Amino acid sequence: MRRLFLLVITAILGCGGGGESTPARKTIIDSRDTYDPRSLDPALSTDVPTGRAVAYVFDGLTRFTPDAKVVPGLAKSWDVSADGITYTFHLRTGVKFHDGRPFKASNVVSTFQRVLDPATKGGRGWPLYPIKGAEDYAASKAKTIAGMAAPDDSTVVITLKEPFSIFPKLLAMPVTSIIPDNPSADFGQKPIGTGPWKFVEWRHDDYLRFAKNPDYFDGAPKTDSLMARIIPEMSTATAEFEAGNVDVLNVPDEAGKSWQVDPEKKKLLTSAPALRFWYVAINTTRGPLSDVRVRQAINYAVDVNTMLAQVMAGRGAVANGVVPPSLGGYDASRKGYPHDVAKAKQLLAAAGHPTGIDVELWASTTDQSPRISQTIQANLAEAGIRAKIIQRDASSMREAARKGQTDLALKEWWADYPDAENFLYPLLHSKNKGVGGNVSFYSNPHFDALVDQAHREQDEAKRNSLYTQADQIEFNDAPMLYLFFYKDMYAVQPWIKGFTVPAVFNGQRWTDVTISK
Amino acid sequence: MFAFIVRRLALSIPTLFGVLVVVFLLLYVAPGDPVQEMVGERADPETIARLRKELHLDEPLLKQFTLYTGGVLRGDFGNSYITQRPIIQDIRERFPKTLLLAGSAMLLASILGITLGVLSARNPGGWFDRLGLGVAYLGISFPVYWVGLILILVFAVILKWLPPSGYGGIKYLILPALALGSRSIAFLARVTRSSMLDVLGGDFVRTARAKGLKERVVVVRHALRNALIPIITVLGLDFGYYLTGSILTETIFSWPGLGRYVVNAITRRDLPAIQGSVLFLSVVFVLVNLLTDLAYAKADPRVAYS
Repeated sequence: MRRLFLLVITAILGCGGGGESTPARKTIIDSRDTYDPRSLDPALSTDVPTGRAVAYVFDGLTRFTPDAKVVPGLAKSWDVSADGITYTFHLRTGVKFHDGRPFKASNVVSTFQRVLDPATKGGRGWPLYPIKGAEDYAASKAKTIAGMAAPDDSTVVITLKEPFSIFPKLLAMPVTSIIPDNPSADFGQKPIGTGPWKFVEWRHDDYLRFAKNPDYFDGAPKTDSLMARIIPEMSTATAEFEAGNVDVLNVPDEAGKSWQVDPEKKKLLTSAPALRFWYVAINTTRGPLSDVRVRQAINYAVDVNTMLAQVMAGRGAVANGVVPPSLGGYDASRKGYPHDVAKAKQLLAAAGHPTGIDVELWASTTDQSPRISQTIQANLAEAGIRAKIIQRDASSMREAARKGQTDLALKEWWADYPDAENFLYPLLHSKNKGVGGNVSFYSNPHFDALVDQAHREQDEAKRNSLYTQADQIEFNDAPMLYLFFYKDMYAVQPWIKGFTVPAVFNGQRWTDVTISK
Repeated sequence: MFAFIVRRLALSIPTLFGVLVVVFLLLYVAPGDPVQEMVGERADPETIARLRKELHLDEPLLKQFTLYTGGVLRGDFGNSYITQRPIIQDIRERFPKTLLLAGSAMLLASILGITLGVLSARNPGGWFDRLGLGVAYLGISFPVYWVGLILILVFAVILKWLPPSGYGGIKYLILPALALGSRSIAFLARVTRSSMLDVLGGDFVRTARAKGLKERVVVVRHALRNALIPIITVLGLDFGYYLTGSILTETIFSWPGLGRYVVNAITRRDLPAIQGSVLFLSVVFVLVNLLTDLAYAKADPRVAYS
């Protein structure tokens, strides 16, 4: 019903509108947030709207560009010791927080301590766990973080537990953004950072407003102010875009289909591969699913190509492993499991299930999940795999999957940083079973060893090769049903210049974007 | 009357306590875990254990309940697990907006619905009555999100008279109030019509007409006044529902009210936020029911409270 309605709306919307004139406002208005951020305190940034806003107001030692490169942030450069253990960050000098206080090395130390402090109740300490002593500090076993030192105001020396070559990428995550000393009790409501935008106003569930920081060290934003509207309903955001009230729209699938064939609308569309991965975690410890042949059969049974075209409006690339095509370690020569029902049946029979099996397929109620799960169910049925769909809200489903109570669980993974490690390690390393992200409960020592080795490998080419090998191993083991890597499609108003679709959610900071004719 | 109000309020205390217990138990047995919502998609068991301890979620249920109820009795609804903001502050920020929307919707519904009903009843079977019936059917049959999106489409996107969504001055209020009130307009029109038809056939109406009173006076002062009781019932019930968060309307029009707040709290398993808002909304409901009862007495002097 709702879907039908959306189709009608987009069809009608497709007829009207277009040819808007440039608005007189000097505020960029974003429409992507669908719910209120948790807080504007970096230590609490565990959700997407929070992470985006934190990236406007704050800086980390490093940061992401829209196309997912990691570039210097508050650290202008860094050196790594030969053993890969010690990182020396050389900080920018003369940088000031929005309240005028100078940024100095001790801020980095106190910020990281605060992120790890259980009293902060943030819940995301893991990006700092590679630092020596960080976990002890988080467990209140130490008064300081052993591996952190600020020898002078412009140098931070971080010692890791063991070599972790992609560590600088984790420092571009919102949670590791640097805050000033002694944050006020309502810091999450009135944040003070060093970033390109100063916080102005937050109307909960309505909008966030920011003003440009004219003194930003990397050059002030080119537009005076920025507003992030919070619009829970996609069709409403679409209407706001049509009315010219918002500048950028994350185009819903329904609208995307009709806009792509509309000559006027088509000009406004821009898309880029997102680091978002749709998959079905197969719990490798449950019943028949512990047999690799059954898991492979599931992959052969599902026609991912057709699903991508029909259900996802073609927005994405079929997955042939967990490493997305835009990242190092991707293997273009490996083909995904083809749709082959006969082969699926044959594998099932070989595994001792000639009459098929019964499984539960868990899916949440959000976004495309219901449609994808129903398609999978129909595909599986052709091969004799009788899937019963268990539809739950996202929270219940996540809990069940983490406890290992799901056979199959339809999931979407948003990368936190652009590296194959962010897919291989959390989703499939045996250390991360359950709450860590590995809800396949997959465990293969060979795979683990390759990923661990990649963690230590300083040479990028060699590391990518290790990723490729690890990806191949897990692909053969099929601990999941590989679906697709999502492609974001944005509509951008014609008066907006300089906008690039970000690959990581916090990668677009609007500093180069202008409103002009 | 005063004694009646006091007694009613006193009686509502066990009701509210019951609500508290039920919500607490319900959230306890419901699947999903606030701590897992806080940490996001990637975490480690140690962090989760520490957070549970920090939030007293590792305590026995009875202890948790006592802690919470103690806070509520001191007027402290606690802080949200997720946002760490005080629940009271969140409610204080959002409830006036929900009240404004609900109030406007009810005002619109009363004016349009009662007028439509009265006019229909004056000439049953006439063209206006049939038009009114048609409008009422549409209003009752269309779900609020459909009406809302159609209003946005017509008045905001095509005609560009009003903004599609958001919160601000009166221009932001019109469309959501109309969408939210549409069902009530329809319902009120039907209730008013039938209630008026009953009354208009009465002897006192014939007498009033025979006295030579103007038709307008007969209808408004004599008939409508007597037809009010069922209308008040409908108004009271609808208003109660609207105040407890018109979730769909608030979502479609990006209206920053309490309905969206509660839904967000539920999706994220933000226990203090859910408990606080449910308790608050129960108080609102009790008060609205009380006001409705008092309005009966105002409308009909035969209804007396002691």
